[in-house]
Amino acid sequence: MIDVKNVTMRFKMGIDKGFSFKQLFVNLLDPKMRKNKTNEKKDFYALSDISFHVDRGEVVGIIGSNGAGKSTLLKIVSGVMKPTNGSVSVHGSIAPMIELGAGFDAELTARENIYLNGAVLGYSKEFIDSKFDEVVEFSELIDFIDVPIKNFSSGMIAKLAFSIATIVNPEVLIVDEILSVGDIKFQEKSKNKMMSLIQGGTTVLYVSHSIETIRELCNRVIWIEHGKLIDVGPADILCDAYFCSQFGLTPQEAIAKKKKEKEEKNKKRKQNY
Amino acid sequence: MHVLKAIYGNFKKYQFLMQQLISRDFKVKYKRSTLGVLWSLLYPILMMLVMAVVFSKMFKFSVPGVNYFVYFEIGFVMFNYFSEASNNGMTSVVFNFNLLTKVYIPKYIFPLSKCLFCGINFLLTLIPLLFVIIFTGTIEHISWYYLLLPVIFFFGFLFTVGMSFILSTISVFFRDMFYIYGIILTIWNYATPVFYDISIVPDGLQTIFKLNPLFVFINNARDIILYGNCPSTLNLILMVVYGVVFLLIGSIVFKRHQDKFIYYA
Repeated sequence: MIDVKNVTMRFKMGIDKGFSFKQLFVNLLDPKMRKNKTNEKKDFYALSDISFHVDRGEVVGIIGSNGAGKSTLLKIVSGVMKPTNGSVSVHGSIAPMIELGAGFDAELTARENIYLNGAVLGYSKEFIDSKFDEVVEFSELIDFIDVPIKNFSSGMIAKLAFSIATIVNPEVLIVDEILSVGDIKFQEKSKNKMMSLIQGGTTVLYVSHSIETIRELCNRVIWIEHGKLIDVGPADILCDAYFCSQFGLTPQEAIAKKKKEKEEKNKKRKQNY
Repeated sequence: MHVLKAIYGNFKKYQFLMQQLISRDFKVKYKRSTLGVLWSLLYPILMMLVMAVVFSKMFKFSVPGVNYFVYFEIGFVMFNYFSEASNNGMTSVVFNFNLLTKVYIPKYIFPLSKCLFCGINFLLTLIPLLFVIIFTGTIEHISWYYLLLPVIFFFGFLFTVGMSFILSTISVFFRDMFYIYGIILTIWNYATPVFYDISIVPDGLQTIFKLNPLFVFINNARDIILYGNCPSTLNLILMVVYGVVFLLIGSIVFKRHQDKFIYYA
């Protein structure tokens, strides 16, 4: 379903100003500076040589610390970015829920934004027409449907965005921590909605910092750290290992420890029989 | 052939998005004003009037043998379309970076939708232009050549889209283009015989002036509306070449660089 092969993503640091006249003059006057400047441009590998495969119907979580490259990976899989090297192939329709409310225009009303945002997410007019009532009902914004969203609170906007993003029944769902939206009641509702989407047999790629949710939802976990693939494996072991690694162990040690623990547990269970 | 088919398929797939983006532009533009979309009509009429009065009465410009109002307004309307569409097209990619970094959308949609949006405004300005043509009596030159006008506008549109592709690509990597192009447009405006006649240009420069793509488009339209003549074969060929070549160059430049856009967001 999703095939990621040797994906490498390289960013150039300090890309903001590749060239400026000021720099040109400085360079002309001071050849020493020129050498320093050229050295300064370093490459940053957000991802290096990542490969994995996700089968149809699998729910796969991605874990790793902040800045490990999780979101970059999701963006590459969903086609927003092209990898520097390597290839990604995805079969089936993708629904990327990476950032909500893409393309919302503050001047437009909620009604208009549903259509605009729907179009941005690649839905057809007929599809939005047929799901319109569902979106409005789910977002609990029926009284404000013709109000420009610049007058909305951030919670209301998030609720609207979530409701639009989740009306699809995609073959591949890519989710970047968007469950905690709105008030407690809505959080509960949105969590249930996500669960039903995920358990409806779609292939899911799921990023979260909440180890509990990952453990609950995913069959397998991809662990990346500093842009490198640490391991791909069963959710329970990797989640425990990830948790341990936060307290001083290196990832490899943590995985080895947890695998051992599990083996011992299995042994004990067998002995008990 | 299958390339064309793929392009058409892509258009079809994103047609609804394009429609939404254009209608957003309209809504946002006129949301707060009392007269609303009526401004699309009113604004160019008033602008045309002011400019025409300034140039004909204060500066005493005139073009022998034709009605100066009509002469001026054909050029004004067409040049305005180009400058507005190419300017908006240029900024469209940079201004929509917040979208481009979140979801996958083919990037050409943004310059293209701006050119279409301005195109609709352009079509609206043709209504007051038609009134001017009728009231000044220029309508007596009406002929079957009027049917060529949509063709001229079409190739003008292709030229504008091509320019927008080139400009938006440059401006992603080099934001200074926003300001530079403003100056280029002003120079271009004066270098195009919009409010003066080409005959006042010194002989040595005339050939260069006549090769100006915008002048070719404007001149073709003027030949038809003011004189009831068919534009010269040379100018018709130039028009097609400019439209097609600029669109091709623009598309190639844009396509080749679009994957790098996102790093410059």
